[in-house]
Amino acid sequence: MNAVDGLKAAVLLFVAAILQVSIFTQVHILGGVPDILLVTLVAVALLRGAMTGAIGGFFAGLLVDTATLGQLGLTSLVLTVAGYWIGRYGETTGRDRGHAPFTSVAVITVLYAFGVLIVHFVLGERAPAGDVVRGLLPAIVLNLILTAPVYALVRRVLRPLDRGDYATEVQLLG
Amino acid sequence: MASRDRTARVAVLGSSVRRSRSDRRPARGRSNALLRRIILAVLVVAALAMLTVSFRSPTSGALHDVQGVGASALRPFEIAAQRVARPFRDVYGYFSDLATAKTENVKLKRELREARGEANANVAAAQRTSELENLLAFEQGARYPQDYRPVNTTVISYPGSAFAQQVTIAAGSDSGIHLFTPVVTGDGLIGRVTNVTPDQAQVTLLTDPDINVPARDATNGVSGLIRHGEGGTLILDRVAKEHKIRKGDIIVTQGTVDRRYPSVYPYGLPIGRVLNVGTSDIATFLTVTVEPFASFDSLDAVAALVSTKKR
Repeated sequence: MNAVDGLKAAVLLFVAAILQVSIFTQVHILGGVPDILLVTLVAVALLRGAMTGAIGGFFAGLLVDTATLGQLGLTSLVLTVAGYWIGRYGETTGRDRGHAPFTSVAVITVLYAFGVLIVHFVLGERAPAGDVVRGLLPAIVLNLILTAPVYALVRRVLRPLDRGDYATEVQLLG
Repeated sequence: MASRDRTARVAVLGSSVRRSRSDRRPARGRSNALLRRIILAVLVVAALAMLTVSFRSPTSGALHDVQGVGASALRPFEIAAQRVARPFRDVYGYFSDLATAKTENVKLKRELREARGEANANVAAAQRTSELENLLAFEQGARYPQDYRPVNTTVISYPGSAFAQQVTIAAGSDSGIHLFTPVVTGDGLIGRVTNVTPDQAQVTLLTDPDINVPARDATNGVSGLIRHGEGGTLILDRVAKEHKIRKGDIIVTQGTVDRRYPSVYPYGLPIGRVLNVGTSDIATFLTVTVEPFASFDSLDAVAALVSTKKR
Protein backbone atom coordinates (compact mmCIF):
# COMPACT_ATOMS: atom_id res chain seq x y z
CA MET A 1 0.00 0.00 0.00
CA ASN A 2 1.39 3.36 -0.95
CA ALA A 3 1.19 6.62 1.03
CA VAL A 4 -1.76 7.94 -0.95
CA ASP A 5 -3.76 4.82 -0.21
CA GLY A 6 -2.78 5.09 3.43
CA LEU A 7 -3.97 8.67 3.54
CA LYS A 8 -7.25 7.77 1.85
CA ALA A 9 -7.83 4.93 4.30
CA ALA A 10 -7.01 7.23 7.20
CA VAL A 11 -9.49 9.85 5.99
CA LEU A 12 -12.19 7.23 5.48
CA LEU A 13 -11.71 5.81 8.95
CA PHE A 14 -11.50 9.28 10.53
CA VAL A 15 -14.79 10.33 8.95
CA ALA A 16 -16.39 7.03 9.90
CA ALA A 17 -15.19 7.39 13.51
CA ILE A 18 -16.54 10.94 13.77
CA LEU A 19 -19.88 9.89 12.26
CA GLN A 20 -20.04 6.95 14.60
CA VAL A 21 -19.46 8.87 17.83
CA SER A 22 -21.55 11.89 16.90
CA ILE A 23 -24.47 10.42 14.95
CA PHE A 24 -24.74 6.67 14.77
CA THR A 25 -24.43 6.00 18.49
CA GLN A 26 -27.70 7.88 18.91
CA VAL A 27 -29.55 5.74 16.40
CA HIS A 28 -31.27 2.98 18.34
CA ILE A 29 -33.46 0.75 16.23
CA LEU A 30 -35.06 -2.25 17.95
CA GLY A 31 -32.31 -2.19 20.53
CA GLY A 32 -29.51 -2.27 17.98
CA VAL A 33 -27.01 0.44 17.09
CA PRO A 34 -25.45 0.55 13.62
CA ASP A 35 -21.66 0.73 13.56
CA ILE A 36 -20.45 2.52 10.47
CA LEU A 37 -16.88 2.53 11.74
CA LEU A 38 -16.83 -1.24 11.96
CA VAL A 39 -18.30 -1.57 8.48
CA THR A 40 -15.77 0.90 7.06
CA LEU A 41 -12.92 -0.89 8.79
CA VAL A 42 -14.09 -4.19 7.36
CA ALA A 43 -14.20 -2.67 3.87
CA VAL A 44 -10.73 -1.12 4.21
CA ALA A 45 -9.26 -4.31 5.64
CA LEU A 46 -10.81 -6.45 2.91
CA LEU A 47 -9.42 -4.17 0.20
CA ARG A 48 -6.03 -3.43 1.71
CA GLY A 49 -5.15 -6.42 3.86
CA ALA A 50 -4.31 -7.31 7.43
CA MET A 51 -1.62 -4.71 8.14
CA THR A 52 -3.81 -1.84 7.02
CA GLY A 53 -6.72 -3.39 8.88
CA ALA A 54 -4.78 -3.69 12.11
CA ILE A 55 -3.26 -0.21 11.94
CA GLY A 56 -6.55 1.33 10.83
CA GLY A 57 -8.41 -0.47 13.61
CA PHE A 58 -5.91 0.70 16.19
CA PHE A 59 -6.09 4.37 15.28
CA ALA A 60 -9.83 4.35 14.63
CA GLY A 61 -10.34 2.82 18.07
CA LEU A 62 -8.05 5.44 19.54
CA LEU A 63 -10.17 8.16 17.94
CA VAL A 64 -13.35 6.68 19.37
CA ASP A 65 -11.87 6.31 22.84
CA THR A 66 -10.54 9.85 22.71
CA ALA A 67 -13.74 11.42 21.42
CA THR A 68 -15.92 9.63 23.94
CA LEU A 69 -13.40 10.07 26.77
CA GLY A 70 -13.61 6.35 27.26
CA GLN A 71 -10.84 4.08 28.43
CA LEU A 72 -7.98 4.57 26.02
CA GLY A 73 -6.97 1.39 24.30
CA LEU A 74 -10.18 -0.54 24.83
CA THR A 75 -11.75 0.02 21.42
CA SER A 76 -8.29 0.08 19.85
CA LEU A 77 -7.53 -3.38 21.14
CA VAL A 78 -10.71 -4.94 19.79
CA LEU A 79 -10.67 -3.08 16.46
CA THR A 80 -6.99 -3.92 15.90
CA VAL A 81 -7.70 -7.61 16.18
CA ALA A 82 -10.89 -7.25 14.12
CA GLY A 83 -9.11 -5.35 11.36
CA TYR A 84 -6.30 -7.88 11.30
CA TRP A 85 -8.61 -10.88 11.04
CA ILE A 86 -10.74 -9.37 8.32
CA GLY A 87 -7.60 -8.30 6.46
CA ARG A 88 -6.30 -11.84 6.57
CA TYR A 89 -9.63 -13.12 5.34
CA GLY A 90 -9.49 -10.63 2.48
CA GLU A 91 -5.92 -11.62 1.60
CA THR A 92 -6.77 -15.28 1.49
CA THR A 93 -10.17 -16.85 1.08
CA GLY A 94 -12.32 -13.74 0.97
CA ARG A 95 -10.69 -12.20 -2.04
CA ASP A 96 -12.88 -11.76 -5.12
CA ARG A 97 -15.93 -13.15 -3.36
CA GLY A 98 -19.07 -11.05 -3.63
CA HIS A 99 -20.40 -12.10 -0.26
CA ALA A 100 -17.12 -11.44 1.56
CA PRO A 101 -18.06 -7.95 2.87
CA PHE A 102 -21.43 -9.15 4.15
CA THR A 103 -20.05 -12.28 5.73
CA SER A 104 -17.22 -10.30 7.30
CA VAL A 105 -19.53 -7.61 8.68
CA ALA A 106 -21.95 -10.15 10.15
CA VAL A 107 -19.20 -12.17 11.79
CA ILE A 108 -17.16 -9.22 12.99
CA THR A 109 -20.24 -7.51 14.46
CA VAL A 110 -20.74 -10.51 16.71
CA LEU A 111 -17.05 -10.87 17.56
CA TYR A 112 -16.64 -7.15 18.19
CA ALA A 113 -19.66 -7.07 20.54
CA PHE A 114 -18.41 -10.02 22.53
CA GLY A 115 -14.83 -8.74 22.40
CA VAL A 116 -15.81 -5.45 23.99
CA LEU A 117 -17.98 -7.32 26.48
CA ILE A 118 -15.11 -9.60 27.45
CA VAL A 119 -12.66 -6.70 27.89
CA HIS A 120 -15.17 -4.89 30.10
CA PHE A 121 -15.71 -8.10 32.06
CA VAL A 122 -11.99 -8.65 32.50
CA LEU A 123 -11.59 -5.07 33.71
CA GLY A 124 -14.28 -5.72 36.29
CA GLU A 125 -16.64 -3.18 34.84
CA ARG A 126 -20.34 -3.48 34.17
CA ALA A 127 -20.78 -6.05 31.37
CA PRO A 128 -24.48 -6.50 30.60
CA ALA A 129 -24.37 -9.61 28.43
CA GLY A 130 -28.16 -9.75 28.17
CA ASP A 131 -28.38 -6.28 26.66
CA VAL A 132 -25.57 -7.07 24.22
CA VAL A 133 -27.19 -10.30 23.10
CA ARG A 134 -30.61 -8.66 22.72
CA GLY A 135 -29.20 -5.88 20.56
CA LEU A 136 -26.98 -8.14 18.50
CA LEU A 137 -29.42 -9.28 15.84
CA PRO A 138 -30.71 -5.78 15.05
CA ALA A 139 -27.11 -4.53 15.02
CA ILE A 140 -26.12 -7.21 12.52
CA VAL A 141 -29.05 -6.32 10.28
CA LEU A 142 -28.30 -2.60 10.48
CA ASN A 143 -24.62 -3.16 9.74
CA LEU A 144 -25.49 -5.38 6.81
CA ILE A 145 -27.73 -2.63 5.44
CA LEU A 146 -24.80 -0.23 5.68
CA THR A 147 -22.38 -2.69 4.13
CA ALA A 148 -23.34 -2.33 0.45
CA PRO A 149 -23.09 1.49 0.20
CA VAL A 150 -20.08 1.76 2.49
CA TYR A 151 -18.19 -1.00 0.72
CA ALA A 152 -19.00 0.51 -2.66
CA LEU A 153 -17.73 3.90 -1.50
CA VAL A 154 -14.55 2.49 0.03
CA ARG A 155 -13.96 0.37 -3.06
CA ARG A 156 -14.32 3.49 -5.20
CA VAL A 157 -11.78 5.38 -3.08
CA LEU A 158 -9.40 2.47 -2.59
CA ARG A 159 -9.19 0.61 -5.85
CA PRO A 160 -8.76 -3.14 -5.40
CA LEU A 161 -5.14 -4.27 -5.67
CA ASP A 162 -3.79 -6.60 -8.24
CA ARG A 163 -3.42 -10.15 -7.09
CA GLY A 164 0.31 -9.87 -6.94
CA ASP A 165 0.14 -6.99 -4.50
CA TYR A 166 -1.65 -8.99 -1.84
CA ALA A 167 0.47 -10.05 1.05
CA THR A 168 -0.44 -13.65 1.33
CA GLU A 169 1.06 -16.82 2.69
CA VAL A 170 -1.31 -18.94 0.69
CA GLN A 171 0.34 -19.79 -2.63
CA LEU A 172 -2.04 -19.54 -5.51
CA LEU A 173 -2.20 -22.40 -7.90
CA GLY A 174 -4.24 -20.68 -10.62
CA MET B 1 18.89 -25.63 2.79
CA ALA B 2 17.84 -25.61 -0.83
CA SER B 3 18.51 -22.64 -3.04
CA ARG B 4 15.59 -20.30 -3.75
CA ASP B 5 16.38 -20.62 -7.45
CA ARG B 6 16.13 -24.34 -7.26
CA THR B 7 14.29 -26.25 -9.92
CA ALA B 8 10.89 -27.62 -9.18
CA ARG B 9 9.62 -30.77 -10.72
CA VAL B 10 6.04 -30.82 -11.86
CA ALA B 11 4.66 -34.28 -11.36
CA VAL B 12 2.18 -34.18 -14.18
CA LEU B 13 4.51 -33.13 -16.90
CA GLY B 14 7.54 -34.81 -15.48
CA SER B 15 9.74 -31.98 -16.65
CA SER B 16 11.69 -29.44 -14.67
CA VAL B 17 10.79 -25.73 -14.74
CA ARG B 18 13.06 -22.91 -13.65
CA ARG B 19 11.36 -20.25 -11.56
CA SER B 20 11.77 -16.65 -12.58
CA ARG B 21 12.73 -13.98 -10.00
CA SER B 22 9.19 -12.57 -10.06
CA ASP B 23 7.83 -15.85 -8.74
CA ARG B 24 9.65 -15.58 -5.43
CA ARG B 25 6.37 -15.13 -3.58
CA PRO B 26 6.99 -17.50 -0.68
CA ALA B 27 10.07 -15.60 0.45
CA ARG B 28 8.34 -12.25 0.18
CA GLY B 29 5.26 -13.70 1.80
CA ARG B 30 7.28 -14.96 4.78
CA SER B 31 8.86 -11.56 5.37
CA ASN B 32 5.49 -9.89 4.99
CA ALA B 33 3.94 -12.34 7.44
CA LEU B 34 6.67 -11.64 9.96
CA LEU B 35 6.27 -7.88 9.58
CA ARG B 36 2.52 -8.18 9.82
CA ARG B 37 2.72 -10.19 13.00
CA ILE B 38 5.23 -7.82 14.52
CA ILE B 39 2.96 -4.87 13.74
CA LEU B 40 -0.04 -6.68 15.17
CA ALA B 41 1.88 -7.54 18.31
CA VAL B 42 3.12 -3.95 18.71
CA LEU B 43 -0.38 -2.55 18.26
CA VAL B 44 -1.94 -5.02 20.68
CA VAL B 45 0.74 -4.34 23.26
CA ALA B 46 0.30 -0.59 22.78
CA ALA B 47 -3.45 -0.90 23.19
CA LEU B 48 -3.03 -3.03 26.30
CA ALA B 49 -0.53 -0.57 27.72
CA MET B 50 -2.87 2.36 27.13
CA LEU B 51 -5.72 0.36 28.57
CA THR B 52 -3.72 -0.46 31.68
CA VAL B 53 -2.61 3.13 32.23
CA SER B 54 -6.06 4.47 31.52
CA PHE B 55 -7.65 1.91 33.83
CA ARG B 56 -5.26 2.64 36.69
CA SER B 57 -5.70 6.42 36.52
CA PRO B 58 -8.85 7.22 34.55
CA THR B 59 -9.12 10.84 35.64
CA SER B 60 -5.54 12.01 35.91
CA GLY B 61 -2.12 11.56 34.45
CA ALA B 62 -0.36 12.38 31.20
CA LEU B 63 -2.45 9.99 29.13
CA HIS B 64 -5.62 11.56 30.44
CA ASP B 65 -4.31 15.01 29.53
CA VAL B 66 -3.47 13.85 26.03
CA GLN B 67 -6.90 12.32 25.74
CA GLY B 68 -8.44 15.63 26.81
CA VAL B 69 -6.48 17.52 24.18
CA GLY B 70 -7.47 14.95 21.57
CA ALA B 71 -11.12 15.17 22.55
CA SER B 72 -10.98 18.96 22.27
CA ALA B 73 -9.43 18.66 18.85
CA LEU B 74 -12.11 16.23 17.70
CA ARG B 75 -14.95 18.31 19.13
CA PRO B 76 -15.35 20.62 16.08
CA PHE B 77 -15.60 17.62 13.78
CA GLU B 78 -18.25 16.05 15.98
CA ILE B 79 -20.25 19.29 16.12
CA ALA B 80 -20.01 19.66 12.36
CA ALA B 81 -21.19 16.10 11.86
CA GLN B 82 -24.07 16.64 14.21
CA ARG B 83 -25.11 19.83 12.42
CA VAL B 84 -25.04 18.11 9.08
CA ALA B 85 -27.03 15.20 10.42
CA ARG B 86 -29.56 17.26 12.36
CA PRO B 87 -32.11 17.75 9.55
CA PHE B 88 -32.01 14.05 8.74
CA ARG B 89 -32.32 13.19 12.39
CA ASP B 90 -35.29 15.52 12.77
CA VAL B 91 -37.05 13.87 9.85
CA TYR B 92 -36.27 10.45 11.25
CA GLY B 93 -37.45 11.56 14.67
CA TYR B 94 -40.71 12.88 13.23
CA PHE B 95 -41.57 9.62 11.52
CA SER B 96 -40.29 7.59 14.41
CA ASP B 97 -42.52 9.54 16.80
CA LEU B 98 -45.49 8.99 14.51
CA ALA B 99 -44.79 5.28 14.38
CA THR B 100 -44.40 4.98 18.12
CA ALA B 101 -47.23 7.32 19.12
CA LYS B 102 -49.86 4.59 19.15
CA THR B 103 -47.72 2.23 21.19
CA GLU B 104 -46.80 5.09 23.49
CA ASN B 105 -50.48 5.93 23.95
CA VAL B 106 -51.32 2.37 24.96
CA LYS B 107 -48.34 2.31 27.30
CA LEU B 108 -49.28 5.61 28.91
CA LYS B 109 -52.87 4.50 29.39
CA ARG B 110 -51.64 1.37 31.10
CA GLU B 111 -49.33 3.40 33.32
CA LEU B 112 -52.22 5.72 34.17
CA ARG B 113 -54.36 2.74 35.18
CA GLU B 114 -51.57 1.41 37.34
CA ALA B 115 -51.01 4.83 38.90
CA ARG B 116 -54.70 5.16 39.68
CA GLY B 117 -54.72 1.72 41.28
CA GLU B 118 -51.68 2.66 43.31
CA ALA B 119 -53.28 5.95 44.37
CA ASN B 120 -56.43 4.11 45.45
CA ALA B 121 -54.33 1.65 47.39
CA ASN B 122 -52.54 4.55 49.06
CA VAL B 123 -55.83 6.17 49.99
CA ALA B 124 -57.07 2.88 51.44
CA ALA B 125 -53.79 2.45 53.31
CA ALA B 126 -54.02 5.98 54.68
CA GLN B 127 -57.59 5.35 55.84
CA ARG B 128 -56.52 2.10 57.48
CA THR B 129 -53.64 3.83 59.19
CA SER B 130 -56.05 6.42 60.51
CA GLU B 131 -58.34 3.69 61.85
CA LEU B 132 -55.43 1.88 63.49
CA GLU B 133 -54.23 5.09 65.11
CA ASN B 134 -57.75 5.72 66.34
CA LEU B 135 -57.97 2.21 67.75
CA LEU B 136 -54.58 2.53 69.43
CA ALA B 137 -55.62 5.84 70.96
CA PHE B 138 -58.76 4.20 72.33
CA GLU B 139 -56.84 1.25 73.77
CA GLN B 140 -54.33 3.55 75.45
CA GLY B 141 -56.91 6.09 76.57
CA ALA B 142 -58.79 6.53 79.84
CA ARG B 143 -62.00 5.13 78.38
CA TYR B 144 -60.46 1.70 77.86
CA PRO B 145 -62.02 -0.76 80.31
CA GLN B 146 -59.89 -2.42 82.95
CA ASP B 147 -59.61 -6.21 83.10
CA TYR B 148 -59.86 -6.51 79.34
CA ARG B 149 -57.17 -7.07 76.80
CA PRO B 150 -57.60 -6.13 73.14
CA VAL B 151 -57.28 -8.67 70.35
CA ASN B 152 -56.53 -6.45 67.39
CA THR B 153 -57.72 -7.81 64.11
CA THR B 154 -59.38 -6.89 60.86
CA VAL B 155 -62.74 -7.42 59.28
CA ILE B 156 -62.40 -9.99 56.50
CA SER B 157 -65.97 -10.20 55.27
CA TYR B 158 -68.86 -7.79 55.28
CA PRO B 159 -72.62 -8.23 55.32
CA GLY B 160 -73.65 -10.03 52.15
CA SER B 161 -77.00 -8.29 51.99
CA ALA B 162 -78.98 -5.52 53.60
CA PHE B 163 -80.63 -8.13 55.79
CA ALA B 164 -77.44 -9.51 57.26
CA GLN B 165 -75.84 -7.45 60.00
CA GLN B 166 -72.83 -9.62 60.68
CA VAL B 167 -69.18 -9.25 59.83
CA THR B 168 -66.38 -11.77 60.12
CA ILE B 169 -63.12 -10.90 61.86
CA ALA B 170 -59.76 -12.61 61.36
CA ALA B 171 -59.33 -13.83 64.92
CA GLY B 172 -61.08 -16.59 66.84
CA SER B 173 -60.96 -18.79 69.86
CA ASP B 174 -57.21 -19.35 69.45
CA SER B 175 -56.80 -15.66 70.35
CA GLY B 176 -59.06 -15.97 73.38
CA ILE B 177 -62.22 -14.74 71.69
CA HIS B 178 -65.42 -16.47 72.77
CA LEU B 179 -69.16 -16.01 72.35
CA PHE B 180 -70.47 -12.61 73.47
CA THR B 181 -67.04 -10.99 73.36
CA PRO B 182 -67.64 -7.28 72.67
CA VAL B 183 -65.96 -5.82 69.61
CA VAL B 184 -64.99 -2.17 69.22
CA THR B 185 -63.34 0.23 66.81
CA GLY B 186 -61.44 3.31 67.82
CA ASP B 187 -64.76 5.16 67.81
CA GLY B 188 -66.71 2.81 70.01
CA LEU B 189 -68.73 -0.38 70.36
CA ILE B 190 -69.85 -2.09 67.16
CA GLY B 191 -71.31 -5.39 68.37
CA ARG B 192 -70.53 -8.74 69.91
CA VAL B 193 -69.30 -12.14 68.82
CA THR B 194 -72.12 -14.52 67.96
CA ASN B 195 -70.15 -17.36 66.44
CA VAL B 196 -66.55 -18.37 66.81
CA THR B 197 -64.08 -20.76 65.21
CA PRO B 198 -60.42 -21.20 66.12
CA ASP B 199 -59.24 -18.50 63.73
CA GLN B 200 -62.34 -16.49 62.84
CA ALA B 201 -65.34 -15.03 64.58
CA GLN B 202 -68.69 -13.70 63.49
CA VAL B 203 -69.63 -10.34 64.95
CA THR B 204 -73.25 -9.25 65.01
CA LEU B 205 -73.47 -5.50 64.75
CA LEU B 206 -75.50 -3.14 66.91
CA THR B 207 -77.70 -2.53 63.88
CA ASP B 208 -78.99 -6.11 64.05
CA PRO B 209 -82.55 -6.44 65.45
CA ASP B 210 -81.46 -9.20 67.82
CA ILE B 211 -78.87 -7.10 69.60
CA ASN B 212 -79.77 -5.19 72.77
CA VAL B 213 -77.10 -3.45 74.79
CA PRO B 214 -77.64 -2.04 78.28
CA ALA B 215 -76.52 1.59 78.06
CA ARG B 216 -76.63 4.85 79.93
CA ASP B 217 -76.39 8.54 79.37
CA ALA B 218 -72.87 9.44 80.41
CA THR B 219 -74.00 12.92 81.45
CA ASN B 220 -76.85 12.11 83.84
CA GLY B 221 -76.68 8.34 84.30
CA VAL B 222 -80.09 7.60 82.84
CA SER B 223 -80.04 4.01 81.65
CA GLY B 224 -81.84 2.23 78.86
CA LEU B 225 -81.43 -0.41 76.22
CA ILE B 226 -79.75 0.24 72.89
CA ARG B 227 -81.36 -1.44 69.91
CA HIS B 228 -81.39 -0.94 66.15
CA GLY B 229 -83.22 2.04 64.67
CA GLU B 230 -84.09 3.39 61.25
CA GLY B 231 -81.56 4.50 58.63
CA GLY B 232 -78.42 3.34 60.42
CA THR B 233 -79.33 4.97 63.73
CA LEU B 234 -79.84 3.34 67.14
CA ILE B 235 -82.60 3.75 69.67
CA LEU B 236 -82.07 4.12 73.39
CA ASP B 237 -85.18 2.32 74.56
CA ARG B 238 -86.76 1.80 77.96
CA VAL B 239 -86.11 5.33 79.16
CA ALA B 240 -88.92 6.56 81.33
CA LYS B 241 -90.63 9.79 80.32
CA GLU B 242 -89.70 11.62 83.48
CA HIS B 243 -85.95 11.40 82.72
CA LYS B 244 -84.21 14.33 81.10
CA ILE B 245 -82.07 13.40 78.14
CA ARG B 246 -80.70 16.13 75.94
CA LYS B 247 -79.60 16.19 72.39
CA GLY B 248 -75.84 15.69 72.16
CA ASP B 249 -75.50 13.55 75.28
CA ILE B 250 -73.01 10.72 75.04
CA ILE B 251 -74.34 7.19 75.38
CA VAL B 252 -72.01 4.52 76.76
CA THR B 253 -72.35 0.91 77.83
CA GLN B 254 -73.75 0.44 81.28
CA GLY B 255 -71.58 -2.45 82.37
CA THR B 256 -72.38 -4.83 85.20
CA VAL B 257 -74.95 -3.57 87.65
CA ASP B 258 -75.54 -6.76 89.57
CA ARG B 259 -72.60 -9.12 90.03
CA ARG B 260 -74.91 -12.07 89.89
CA TYR B 261 -75.76 -11.10 86.34
CA PRO B 262 -72.56 -9.77 84.82
CA SER B 263 -72.91 -7.84 81.58
CA VAL B 264 -70.96 -9.00 78.53
CA TYR B 265 -70.15 -5.33 77.86
CA PRO B 266 -67.74 -3.55 80.17
CA TYR B 267 -68.73 -0.15 81.51
CA GLY B 268 -68.05 2.99 79.54
CA LEU B 269 -67.64 1.83 75.95
CA PRO B 270 -68.81 4.72 73.76
CA ILE B 271 -71.83 3.90 71.63
CA GLY B 272 -73.07 7.16 70.19
CA ARG B 273 -74.46 10.65 70.65
CA VAL B 274 -78.12 11.54 71.20
CA LEU B 275 -79.52 12.84 67.96
CA ASN B 276 -83.10 13.41 68.87
CA VAL B 277 -85.44 12.94 71.84
CA GLY B 278 -89.10 12.41 71.19
CA THR B 279 -92.18 11.44 73.13
CA SER B 280 -95.93 11.03 72.74
CA ASP B 281 -98.86 11.02 75.11
CA ILE B 282 -99.62 7.36 74.65
CA ALA B 283 -96.01 6.06 74.72
CA THR B 284 -94.61 4.74 77.99
CA PHE B 285 -91.00 5.57 77.19
CA LEU B 286 -89.03 8.32 75.49
CA THR B 287 -87.92 7.78 71.91
CA VAL B 288 -84.22 8.60 72.02
CA THR B 289 -82.49 8.40 68.67
CA VAL B 290 -78.76 7.81 68.90
CA GLU B 291 -76.23 8.37 66.16
CA PRO B 292 -73.56 5.67 66.55
CA PHE B 293 -69.93 6.75 66.78
CA ALA B 294 -68.74 3.79 64.74
CA SER B 295 -69.30 3.81 61.02
CA PHE B 296 -70.76 0.41 60.27
CA ASP B 297 -70.32 0.86 56.53
CA SER B 298 -66.53 1.00 56.58
CA LEU B 299 -65.28 -1.31 59.26
CA ASP B 300 -61.70 -2.48 58.96
CA ALA B 301 -59.45 -2.40 62.02
CA VAL B 302 -61.31 -3.64 65.08
CA ALA B 303 -60.47 -5.02 68.51
CA ALA B 304 -62.20 -7.78 70.41
CA LEU B 305 -62.16 -7.11 74.16
CA VAL B 306 -61.27 -10.33 75.92
CA SER B 307 -61.78 -10.41 79.67
CA THR B 308 -58.66 -11.12 81.70
CA LYS B 309 -60.69 -12.12 84.73
CA LYS B 310 -60.86 -15.79 85.52
CA ARG B 311 -64.35 -17.13 85.04
